[in-house]
Amino acid sequence: MLGAAATWTLPVFLEKTFFALDALAADAATQAVTGKDGTILVVLQMAGGNDGLNMVVPYADDAYHVARPRLRFTPDQVLKIDNHIALNPKLTGLKSLYDEGHAAIMQGVGYPNPNRSHFRSTEIWQTASDADRTVSDGWLGRYFDNCCAGADPTVGVAIGEETPQAFAAKKPTGVTFSRPEQFRFRSSGPANGPMSSEEMFFRQLNESGAGDESGNVASNTGGSIGAISGKTKNDLSTLDFLQRTALDAQLSSDKILAIARKYKSTVPYPQGQLAASLNIVARMIAGGLPTRVYYASQGGFDTHAGQIGTHQRLMGEFNDAVTAFVADLKQQGNFERVLLMTFSEFGRRVQENANGGTDHGAAAPMFVLGGGVKAGLFGKYPSLTDLDHGDLKFNTDFRSVYGTVLDRWLKAPSELVLGRKFPALGIV
Amino acid sequence: MLTALPDSKWNEATAAHLTNRAGFGGTPAEIEAIRKKGLGAAVRDFVEVKNDAADVTPPSWAHPRDIRAQRMEIKAAKDRGENFQVKARQVRMMEGEEILDLRRWWVDRMLNGPAPLLEKMTLFWHGHFATSIQKVHDAYWMWLQNDALRRNAFGNFGALVKKVSRDPAMMIYLDLQQSRQEHPNENWARELMELFTVGIGNYTEQDIRESARAFTGYRVDMTTQQFHFAPFQQDHGTKTFMNRTGNLNGDDIIDILVSKPACAQFIGRKLWRFFVEDDPRPETVNAIAERLRAHNFEMRPVLREIFSSAEFYSDRVMGNQIKSPVQYIVQTSKLLDAPPPAPIAAQNAMRQMGQILFAPPNVKGWDGGKEWISTSTLLFRYNFANYLINGDAILPPNLQQRRQGADVGFGQAAQLAEQVRRDPIDIGKFVPADVRSKPRAVVDLLAKRLFQAQPGEKEIETFAKFLESRGPDINDATLRELVHLMMSTPQFQLA
Repeated sequence: MLGAAATWTLPVFLEKTFFALDALAADAATQAVTGKDGTILVVLQMAGGNDGLNMVVPYADDAYHVARPRLRFTPDQVLKIDNHIALNPKLTGLKSLYDEGHAAIMQGVGYPNPNRSHFRSTEIWQTASDADRTVSDGWLGRYFDNCCAGADPTVGVAIGEETPQAFAAKKPTGVTFSRPEQFRFRSSGPANGPMSSEEMFFRQLNESGAGDESGNVASNTGGSIGAISGKTKNDLSTLDFLQRTALDAQLSSDKILAIARKYKSTVPYPQGQLAASLNIVARMIAGGLPTRVYYASQGGFDTHAGQIGTHQRLMGEFNDAVTAFVADLKQQGNFERVLLMTFSEFGRRVQENANGGTDHGAAAPMFVLGGGVKAGLFGKYPSLTDLDHGDLKFNTDFRSVYGTVLDRWLKAPSELVLGRKFPALGIV
Repeated sequence: MLTALPDSKWNEATAAHLTNRAGFGGTPAEIEAIRKKGLGAAVRDFVEVKNDAADVTPPSWAHPRDIRAQRMEIKAAKDRGENFQVKARQVRMMEGEEILDLRRWWVDRMLNGPAPLLEKMTLFWHGHFATSIQKVHDAYWMWLQNDALRRNAFGNFGALVKKVSRDPAMMIYLDLQQSRQEHPNENWARELMELFTVGIGNYTEQDIRESARAFTGYRVDMTTQQFHFAPFQQDHGTKTFMNRTGNLNGDDIIDILVSKPACAQFIGRKLWRFFVEDDPRPETVNAIAERLRAHNFEMRPVLREIFSSAEFYSDRVMGNQIKSPVQYIVQTSKLLDAPPPAPIAAQNAMRQMGQILFAPPNVKGWDGGKEWISTSTLLFRYNFANYLINGDAILPPNLQQRRQGADVGFGQAAQLAEQVRRDPIDIGKFVPADVRSKPRAVVDLLAKRLFQAQPGEKEIETFAKFLESRGPDINDATLRELVHLMMSTPQFQLA
């Protein structure tokens, strides 16, 4: 009963006739990409601090076995990449992708002066700032601001309820939804037939903030709102921000719903939230939504105690979801257009703790997958004995990965987005 | 420096504002009653709740259990080779049923309880000392924490932090009950500083390690579900924490932290963000921090000063806060003069809107403000409003049929359909028959009742045109559609 309840939501059942976007909406829908041939980035966040050491395992290093008496994998358990490095036993699909030449593994990724707070370190990864600077715009938000002017709001799509800080922009762009079938306004009218008049009036009400570049909102009678700035949605007053979000929701929901109805995956996906999210991404790609960046996430990596069961379950979910997603993209013929990049706010401490878990660490690996990716191991595995407060030292700045993806995959000038040029990697 | 609001500024709008922020809003009649009291008495009645207001009747199931025995039973069944999963599933089901009931219980307190500010402050502390059932896995412990937060909500902040450090749910959530002398666990120590007292940038990694040692020996008794202290697990050695050296214990660490200027700034800013505005100016944070210190971190007098201040009632503050999902649910129930949504529907709505009680997303709690709103949560609010107004008639026809038992193959769905049953609101209560023929009058009447941030003339005209398009006979269904239209606007999300 509770299982059913957990997935129950207010459903959508009104089959709607095609609604012609009005002139205003058509203007705003001028797209930066056609959605049919542009490259696509899928960002996958592993929230909570993924234990990189047990994902990409330095199985030949004695120090690993000494530091991890309870959590270690033995050489016969792991999926060997070379004589030193192997993948977690659950990552069979990732191993196949690697062997096929479609997976790049960046070792020892991090940033100078690593922060061990989940929230601060996540913020650093999401904003691509230096550790000693606080920036409110997200790195993808700056990409939208600088490189996607006039784009459709669906240029960025986050699967979930909450918009990631990486999307935070001067001019908020991008839409967030968890179930495409429910991503629409439901009027009280009859279940079938033409659009109800309630819905037509609803559309008028929720277009009031549309395209008003001056930032003035005619309907604001709430007094002098002033320059109130939220953490991630900078330059808009609260009401402006709500109105823009309402408009974005409305402009995108027709399209997203239409695609969701038309495109179903024939490749089977496993259970679980990440698989469901990637399935939605695959269907949106199949339907040609003009999106450059999709964002999905998997949580639960903060394994301070009793790590082994939890982490193996997460690794299994990750592997199975990504494997299904890749199979789906291949079947669609879109694998060459899509690049999937993983990240976590930090790795975990080399030495396991007394509770069968690991505490917050620093450097960790990143995966980049896709038909256009150059496979291989990049960077070098950090030393397990030359540590920074018990944590791995990074040798590749994560912004080198971002920069490479921006320059070579999205064909966007990375300096504009990241503020400076970081050394490029040979992953694309 | 906070300045007092002059009595001349006390009116319907400021009374409504106080009711929204210090509580969960009110009907026009309730707001009028509060206005009539005058500013001083109105604030006093919110803040000076009787001491026994926190003596609430707990949910019927909320009593300690022998968790150890329960776990042993499952383990024994497993060892005997029996199907232990049946028992394990029963335990999980019970946990799910109880936390659902706890959410219902708290929403009911917010909506119908005698002390709305006490509940709102408890909600503030719940977000501050964020703890989730998803790790704690026991509704009694979540209730115990909720009760502790409520009893200490208006009291001394330092005492509250000490209470929370001994709270079983928190201890489990941040692994404090596993911390041993030989291996102090840093999870609680870090969040105590980063999120509960002084904020990031005001401590070192060394401070985390040293304070983790000071908090050793804290345990949860699994047979009584209560805190107990294990002296033999405690690290009695010398610790150096923020330039203080000695055999410091956990309470010493908390005293040191609360004495830091950064603590008053951190708590003051957070309090202001919750009750007043998203982005307080530095001078405002300084002012509220100064008042916290002046009152030795007693919360009640600080709250009284906030709700009496001209800053709290300024134009840029009133009607400019995005309602939290919990505020949305409770306030809307008041505005519609309808019962709260069925527990399972409320729980689902909390999840979809991004604030599920007793399950914050992480130890940082809810960011609030603009973070409540994405395209996803905004559309959900609009659609959930439809259910709140029109009831389960808007649910898919097949779900309705299942409720009638025709579809015996779907027992679960039938049960669910019964659980989300809801009648349409009685719109006749707000719109007298003699007004119905005047669209503009109907719109003004409903807008005054429903909106905390009044819509502009353009929206009002759109509402009126909608009624005119349906005229001349305005029936209840049309009026409910109008209410849904009003709630499906950016303005309705503000209070």
